[in-house]
Amino acid sequence: MHMADALVNPVVAGTMYAASAAVAGVSVHKVRLEDNQKKIPLMGVMGAFVFAAQMINFTIPGTGSSGHLCGGMMLSALLGPWAGFLTMIGVLLIQCLFFADGGLLALGCNIWNMAFYGCFVGALVIWRLIMKNGAARWKIILASVLGCVLTLQMGAFSVTIETMLSGITELPFKTFVAAMQPIHLAIGLVEGLITAAVLLFVYEARPELLWGIGTPKKEAKLSLGWTLGILGGLALLIGGGLSLAASSLPDGLEWAIGRITGSEELEAAEAGIYAAADKVQSATSFLPDYAFKGSESAAGTTVSGIVGSLIVVALLVGAALLFRFFRNKKKETVAKN
Amino acid sequence: MSKIGQAISEIQSLETISKEDRRVNRIHPLSKLILTVFYIAVTVSFHKYDLPGLIGMAVYPAAVFMIADLSFREALRRLRVVLPLVMVMGILNPFFDRKIVLMVGALPVSGGVLSMLTLMIKAVLTVLAGYLFIATTPIEEICRALRIIHIPKTFVVVVLLIYRYITVLLSEARRITQAYQLRAPGQKGVHYKVWGSLVGQMLLRSMDRANDIYDSMQLRGFDGDLRTGEKKALTPLDFLWPLLWGAVIVLLRIFPVVELLGGLFV
Amino acid sequence: MSHIHIDVENLNFSYENGTPVLKNLSFRASENDSVGIIGANGAGKSTFLKLLVGLNLNFTGSIRIEEIPLEKKTLAKIREKIGYVFQDSDSQLFMTTVGEDVAFAPRNYGLPEEEVEKRVQEALEKVHITHLRDKSIFKLSGGEKKLASLATILSMTPDMILLDEPSVALDPKNRRNLIHVLNEFEHLKLIASHDLDFIWDTCNRVVLVNHGEIIADGSPEEILRDGELLDANGLEKPLSLTGR
Repeated sequence: MHMADALVNPVVAGTMYAASAAVAGVSVHKVRLEDNQKKIPLMGVMGAFVFAAQMINFTIPGTGSSGHLCGGMMLSALLGPWAGFLTMIGVLLIQCLFFADGGLLALGCNIWNMAFYGCFVGALVIWRLIMKNGAARWKIILASVLGCVLTLQMGAFSVTIETMLSGITELPFKTFVAAMQPIHLAIGLVEGLITAAVLLFVYEARPELLWGIGTPKKEAKLSLGWTLGILGGLALLIGGGLSLAASSLPDGLEWAIGRITGSEELEAAEAGIYAAADKVQSATSFLPDYAFKGSESAAGTTVSGIVGSLIVVALLVGAALLFRFFRNKKKETVAKN
Repeated sequence: MSKIGQAISEIQSLETISKEDRRVNRIHPLSKLILTVFYIAVTVSFHKYDLPGLIGMAVYPAAVFMIADLSFREALRRLRVVLPLVMVMGILNPFFDRKIVLMVGALPVSGGVLSMLTLMIKAVLTVLAGYLFIATTPIEEICRALRIIHIPKTFVVVVLLIYRYITVLLSEARRITQAYQLRAPGQKGVHYKVWGSLVGQMLLRSMDRANDIYDSMQLRGFDGDLRTGEKKALTPLDFLWPLLWGAVIVLLRIFPVVELLGGLFV
Repeated sequence: MSHIHIDVENLNFSYENGTPVLKNLSFRASENDSVGIIGANGAGKSTFLKLLVGLNLNFTGSIRIEEIPLEKKTLAKIREKIGYVFQDSDSQLFMTTVGEDVAFAPRNYGLPEEEVEKRVQEALEKVHITHLRDKSIFKLSGGEKKLASLATILSMTPDMILLDEPSVALDPKNRRNLIHVLNEFEHLKLIASHDLDFIWDTCNRVVLVNHGEIIADGSPEEILRDGELLDANGLEKPLSLTGR
């Protein structure tokens, strides 16, 4: 789900950078307040751990494909959301620098889409609420799956919005959302289960390592059947709510609203998104667009543009070849001497 | 090679290249960071139909690749992560934007085709620029630049530690998966029954390792503050390099340089 | 009379779950000692070393390092005098390059940059790895990592060094090199290991520990040649002494 630099425009990227930086600032402050020096090496090693663990392929039963671990949720359940968020930023920074996964400009977006939701919605809200009265096996599964599904849905939706606002794709908004959300519902479920499996192991081996576990009031015994039932229900509810609503339902919804109100409100809403995108794009032109002030004029000027492009490409290739030639020659003479 | 092995060798090769002795590597990390971000931002700000403008922007990566004598192939390999994603986003553009915006001879070119092309080129150029940065700047230097722009120390230390332990834990992950595969031949990934214990064991070991590291830090006087030495003196190139390229980039963005060049021949 | 550097009296230590690790242990070591602490896995060797540098203060009895009692407020002072080399070099070396890691302690002690530079250079020279200074830690071999670990504590110019299983995972050449380097360090050394050949080559005194108690304390001649004693405590005679 890493967004590439090419998929954002500077205004969207800048806005998301600012948002992520603000949360990061608060997180640094919170981590400092804890005044726990031990946490720093722990954050470093756990960041590296998540990075490495995400490279392991987990077979999804019944399918040929494999899933991975959900970093934000995992880190926050161990380090707390604030330290987890900072660690995730570190991981994302290194991924973008060393593996071209994401990009320097899109980093702000990626932090928001992946780390913010995972750490704060997934852990600070869902995980903590569910663990308020102490942990249990079923609660860990529930929190992990719910957290991952929900945060991935939010992340995927953000990717869609950011790409649309950047004016990258001609895809209609509805189609885009309809494609993104269901895929990420499946991914979220799998990531949630993998994350749950790992956290369950920790819970059984060293429960004191888990973050945000409240004191149990009364041991609420819940059978496995019940757990699975609730889990299935909730997953369906959320998955259905967010993902299906976005894919097959919107037309139905539109139809329903259209029938009730007799108006085309939804189209207006969609037009609003395009208008916003246009606005963002024109704001982006902090440098004027020379050839496309009116798109009609575009066709006339661009023939010379194409010729110019070919010349530039030829020049660059020629320069590279010449450069290589002379360098090899130099190496040869050095070798001879 | 396995995915994990590939990641390890990628980090190692970048580490080597970034510490080689070339003039570009010696330029102040902050100069290069600012230049890189500026270049990427300007590149993606080009209009979706402005193919010639983007072609002109290739001058920067092309020239730096030559000056720094870096392997172009190595950089292109990094596109495999980004291109598929960008492809997905752009591939449908020709179907949705059919407005003809350009005639090349008798061949009509639709806006969708043009915007798909520019998107690809943007992807290539931004990835190349990112590569040029990381291939000429070691991580310690990048962190030094982050400190100069007042990124909190807590965060910078964590980044350095993550970087330091990525290879250690990747090697461990590789050992674990290899040991698993040897005993579970024919399986592509890890069976769901051992999801928890396989990664969980590794997690607990990592936590113990973090404890040892903290002990090791404490024993050598760590008080929560990471001190780094050497402040290199600034050289004229530290200023000239970003300013010069900045000017070129602005020029390419404001004036239709490529088109003017083509106009001479049409 | 030589100076008493480590003075331990009636040391008791248990894990949090109550399992006793060290029982009523008393031990003294002076300036020029090179002590091999031997014992099978789980005998309490590592725990003993960790207690000496104050990594856990929940013990009873007393530990005095150069006459200073080990307690919370003397920790910083004591840790300046003791260098501790971890079994796992990757845990010891957490900075990205060798030079930065060796400079870590001197910088934390607030030395001026010229002095830090001098200390780093000297420490690297002592273990003969000046050429590795700018190298990334993850590119070092196991042997190089061990020497670099040693350098990171030598830059603190400690009065004594403690080593936890230093010869683990070293090939014969690196192992010999490490023995050579250790024998050049003239101050007090405590080496915890079950590699008795290594102890034989580096120590002038041997302490045998089992179940958290000192079973024997004497010269390497006395203890390492006593096959019966070693056998009774889960160890075997060093190969170099078996005459095979």
